[in-house]
Amino acid sequence: MAPDTAALSEGLLAALARRRATGAVVDAAGAAAAAAARAAEWGVERALLADDPVLGDLGVGGRLAGDGCEVLVWPDGRGRGWRELLGLEGPELTMGVTVPRLGVAERGTLVLETGPGHGRSIDVVSMYHLAVLPASRLRATLAEALVETYARDGRAPSAVSLVSAPSRTSDIEKISTLGAHGAKGLHVLVVEDR
Amino acid sequence: MSGRRPVVYSDTTAPLRERTREALADDALAANLRAAGASWGAARTRISAENPFAEMRARAREIRRGDIGDLPELLARLEERVTAAGGVVTRAADADAACRYITDLAAARGATLVAKSKSMATEEIKLNEAIEESGLRVVETDLGEWILQLAGQHPSHIVAPAVHLNKEQVRQVLMAESGWELPTDREALVAHARTRLREVFASADIGISGVNFGVAETGTICVVENEGNARLVTALPRIHVAVMGMERVVRDWDEAAHILQILPMAAIGDDAAGYVNLITGPRAPGEADGPEELHLVILDGGRSALLGTDLEEALDCIRCGACLYSCPMWRSVGGQAYGSPYSGPIGSVLTPLLEGMEGERSSELPFMSSLCGSCHDACPVGIPLHDLLVRVRARVTTTAHRRDRARFRLWSRAWSNPAAYRLSVAMARIGLRLAGRRGWARRLPGPGAEWTSQRDLPTRWPPTPPR
Amino acid sequence: MRAMLMRTCLSDVMAPSVWRATRTVLERAGVEVSVPRRQTCCGQPGWSSGHPDQARRVARTALAAFAGDDPVVVPSGSCAAMVRHGYPELFAGQPEEEAALAMAGRTREFTQFLAEHGLDTGARGSGSATYHDSCHMLRLLGERESGRAALRAVEGVELREMEATDVCCGFGGTFSVNFPEVSGRLGEEKARHAAATGADELIACDLSCLMHIAGRARRTGVPLRVRHIAEVLAG
Repeated sequence: MAPDTAALSEGLLAALARRRATGAVVDAAGAAAAAAARAAEWGVERALLADDPVLGDLGVGGRLAGDGCEVLVWPDGRGRGWRELLGLEGPELTMGVTVPRLGVAERGTLVLETGPGHGRSIDVVSMYHLAVLPASRLRATLAEALVETYARDGRAPSAVSLVSAPSRTSDIEKISTLGAHGAKGLHVLVVEDR
Repeated sequence: MSGRRPVVYSDTTAPLRERTREALADDALAANLRAAGASWGAARTRISAENPFAEMRARAREIRRGDIGDLPELLARLEERVTAAGGVVTRAADADAACRYITDLAAARGATLVAKSKSMATEEIKLNEAIEESGLRVVETDLGEWILQLAGQHPSHIVAPAVHLNKEQVRQVLMAESGWELPTDREALVAHARTRLREVFASADIGISGVNFGVAETGTICVVENEGNARLVTALPRIHVAVMGMERVVRDWDEAAHILQILPMAAIGDDAAGYVNLITGPRAPGEADGPEELHLVILDGGRSALLGTDLEEALDCIRCGACLYSCPMWRSVGGQAYGSPYSGPIGSVLTPLLEGMEGERSSELPFMSSLCGSCHDACPVGIPLHDLLVRVRARVTTTAHRRDRARFRLWSRAWSNPAAYRLSVAMARIGLRLAGRRGWARRLPGPGAEWTSQRDLPTRWPPTPPR
Repeated sequence: MRAMLMRTCLSDVMAPSVWRATRTVLERAGVEVSVPRRQTCCGQPGWSSGHPDQARRVARTALAAFAGDDPVVVPSGSCAAMVRHGYPELFAGQPEEEAALAMAGRTREFTQFLAEHGLDTGARGSGSATYHDSCHMLRLLGERESGRAALRAVEGVELREMEATDVCCGFGGTFSVNFPEVSGRLGEEKARHAAATGADELIACDLSCLMHIAGRARRTGVPLRVRHIAEVLAG
């Protein structure tokens, strides 16, 4: 990994860790195994994957399915209906797998962009959130990332989600508690480029 | 720790002073506020040390001053871009117009259940009451807001609405809602709420959110949160209605990035919010989630009257709630005593401006401050709140204030004349000598009575030391 | 060096010893002090109560009484802040605007004046003191140091910092009588913090805060002695 990319991924993961997210830098060959290990640690019964070539190339879905995890892929997975995706019916220990468009090192933020293959709700309907970020998508500052995301011809993405922490609430006695509505665990795999 | 049903302080039929007395007498409230203030203070101190906060604040002030200076133009651009992205924009002159638009829309679409994420603008226009009156069910989904909705209360803090309640009080409220026995365990209470509210997300027809900022450049709505409920509210229901105060516009993404970073620093003492939802129009073709309709309601509600006046800076506010935590008065009585959706220093400035200077709350709220200036120090966009409070006081038009002015007219007549001044000082000193016993007065008549209701008055200086 | 002393209305009524002590200290430091006879009040009570026209009328007497080029020295952070921070707004667009800005520019709180000119008070004392930051001194004048520096310079006096020194004591002018219960609660907290240092005295640059804190302390049984900083420096 180039030294500046290494510094950026270190910055991203350190900032996220301060907000009780976890993460690691992995090489492309080890990404699927790292995803599966994390799913096993969380006890995930079902994964909801973004339909993104990055996940296909890394073999994430196949590895999860091979480990006995039910794998749904967006947008087909959406056919299950909200009650099931929200965990009100069927398995409760679910994991959304996303591929952020960008990652921001300073202060630690993932930039998730909606599209036909990438539902805006994948990470928050699930109990856990695994983000798979190619290292080349790291940027230094939020301003840089947002300007880049919106500086293009035609229509801006209909939804962009900045994610910087697991779902948390301090509404009871100002003490931060995880898993309020969205994912109670956030794990980021920064994947070194091949 | 008390398990009784929490007291509702928002009864504004009693004068503010009485409500402050009631709040001061509540020991549980005092403990909750003390803990909340200390926790915010510690986080804020840490985050200010880790970041170049002073420079960030100066830049944020510059951004907000510039945005408000160009507000009409930026609003027009925002409206144009939201519309181009397929959203429907409506400008509401007041609360009635905003509520009517939303209830009419709900009726036209045959909606029955509305899921809401946290929004001060909808508190301001009393949207929940309007929706319920029209026969629909509306559920707040921010944990704190939901607890308050169940308890029949209004938020006491812009960012942490239920900060005045403790764990046991929350447990009582949640048990009453579900009829289930719940442990006094924070995680269990949060997990319980998660499940209950997922039922709402699964079936709501309309999601209503507030708007932290609209980005004029691309017509994008920013909704900042930490729980994930705002995303669910804006992603799952068929229709998303966003309600925005007209001043909440920034020019472009460079500005937005800056404000998005300083907001959580000031609000929660963290350098990033957990989630920021950036929404540009309804779902695009081929997408499998997101609303089919996006409606943006831009609320005036008295704001445009402030443009170009010496009170304009009140519009710079980004609703972080830092001035509340920083305020010794707010920390003493909590937000509910203010009896307004906006409490604390910014609430004491905004409430009269939005409601009119002749209102009861206007005659009281601006005066509930020692003008100590800690709110200005805490404000991430540098609003001189202590100066605004003085300016708002000068504009109050209630009978009580007019009577006060008559007294000050006598004062100014006497004290603009050196001879009359010296005479009044001499008389006051005689009075003081007569009132004192062993150097102290315990009870004074007339205007001094309120002083001695809480303190003795030293009639000699330096005061006679305690025995 | 010459200076004009603004006595302040509160000192006139409640504690003439404070302005006299201020004069003593300044004279000892070699300042030629005049006490303009036609001065009354800076106008702050009317201003902060939301009556600018009435405040202006009173403030005009201050502009007249303190006309000239000599510095104006005030033994009160709050009155100094009214002149420095409030007058520019109070007189904006008025015929006296220029005079008001000029007066704002040459008005100093007493200990700021000492610090600015490096004046040696030669004060001696004994025991320990804790220092109260009055809000207008701290935040409107942005002055945290000069009061402490003056106390530290007193030979034989030990300065002890209290907890939450940047939190308001709850006086707040008419706030103290409009919301006496809230004001009282804050005053009591301040008194307890001050007493908890074990210092012999609570010292401040503002008589108003001291009057309130001392009065609340006595009412609630907190043992506390207070003095204005000028009285300490005058010995």
